[in-house]
Amino acid sequence: MADGIQQAASKALLREMGLDEANIERRKKIVGFEASDLPRIAAIRDLVTQHADDYVTTFFNHLSGLDDARPLIASRAIAERARQLKREHLVAMVQGEYGMKYVEQRIELGILYAKAGLDARVFLGAFHQLLKHIGSAVMKQLDRKPVDGFESFMSLKKIAFFDIGLIVDILVFERERTIRQQQESIRELSTPVLQIRERLLLLPIIGVIDTQRARLITESLLRSIRANRAKVVVMDITGVATIDSKVSNHLLQTVTAARLMGAHVIVTGLSAEVAQSLVALGIELSKLNTVGDLQGGLEDAERILGYRVLTAEAGAGPAPEGT
Amino acid sequence: MSVPILKQGDVLIASIQAALSDRELAQLHDAFAEQVGRFRSRGVIIDVTALDVLDSFATRTLRSIAYTAKLRGANAVVVGIQPDVAFAMVQLGLSLEGVATALDLEEGLAYIRDVAKRGGQRVR
Repeated sequence: MADGIQQAASKALLREMGLDEANIERRKKIVGFEASDLPRIAAIRDLVTQHADDYVTTFFNHLSGLDDARPLIASRAIAERARQLKREHLVAMVQGEYGMKYVEQRIELGILYAKAGLDARVFLGAFHQLLKHIGSAVMKQLDRKPVDGFESFMSLKKIAFFDIGLIVDILVFERERTIRQQQESIRELSTPVLQIRERLLLLPIIGVIDTQRARLITESLLRSIRANRAKVVVMDITGVATIDSKVSNHLLQTVTAARLMGAHVIVTGLSAEVAQSLVALGIELSKLNTVGDLQGGLEDAERILGYRVLTAEAGAGPAPEGT
Repeated sequence: MSVPILKQGDVLIASIQAALSDRELAQLHDAFAEQVGRFRSRGVIIDVTALDVLDSFATRTLRSIAYTAKLRGANAVVVGIQPDVAFAMVQLGLSLEGVATALDLEEGLAYIRDVAKRGGQRVR
């Protein structure tokens, strides 16, 4: 069951990364793998298969000696699975079949490393250690024919580098995926449009405004204006650290678009630095209706909408007319 | 297709239902200019809810209608600009500078009432 899920995950990643037959062939070409490598690898097949368990132990012993690899070793379930996959890997490495099936296996292990947060450099260190052991075993067995032994080992190393390329790509890809997801969620989180009174919206803007985000802000604001039948919008930019001509242009566009829909926009929270830099840049903001802070903006908005805020005692008297 | 202008009390209302050619826009402009005087209207409402695009000529005509109406003593409001239309207009650098806008017909009527109550002074 779990295997099925993992296989589906590795198939999905295969697609996302664009790993098709052509790509695999290209990768083989990159490491210089040729047909003549096959018999050389076949010559050491039995040796590697027989001692696969030893090499796996070498790999994981090396990892367990490293603080950096703790996430992979610490979880028993992950370590067991990794051990099993590594063994399959070593056996597959000398079988001479390096097609889609082989790459899928590599990807499954790569995903496991990525999940455990294993760094590429840690993996490289341990993998090199493993190769060293295979290398010395090969040389020992073929001590009469050192040239053949070396050639066989180098052929195997091409496959090893082919694998390294895949694993590193997966680790990088997975890390970038995390970054992409974070950016996405920041983007979604940071543009809420809040209704704080009947027909009064609050748009707090925090962080950096780029063209794409400005577009999202404007779109969600315009939609909210229609959905809430808003008449006044208070746009608070206290959380916008710097404003240059581009950003101010975006803000102006948002304000103008809201006005076209019949909403009045009050901009609040221009800090002293922002105000000074805007004046220094000579940016024309006279079209903007600005109020110093959010409180002032809300008071202004309430006035426009005809609200009057009274304390409970003051409100106990006769209701004021004209509100 | 020419746009019918409806008289509701002292307000004139035109609801544009389909994209208009430049000539039809010009006709609408003339009709408003004439009728504002004839009916002694205090307000003019142009409803563009049904439009999914407003180009530069349409924008200019709307502005021109509003200014003309103002000179004839009526306040003009453009109502019902859709979110997508508003966004596209801003991207194209089109704005209805100096023309009142409102969310929909109801808001537009409320705005005209409001202005009348304040003795003809514009609130914004």
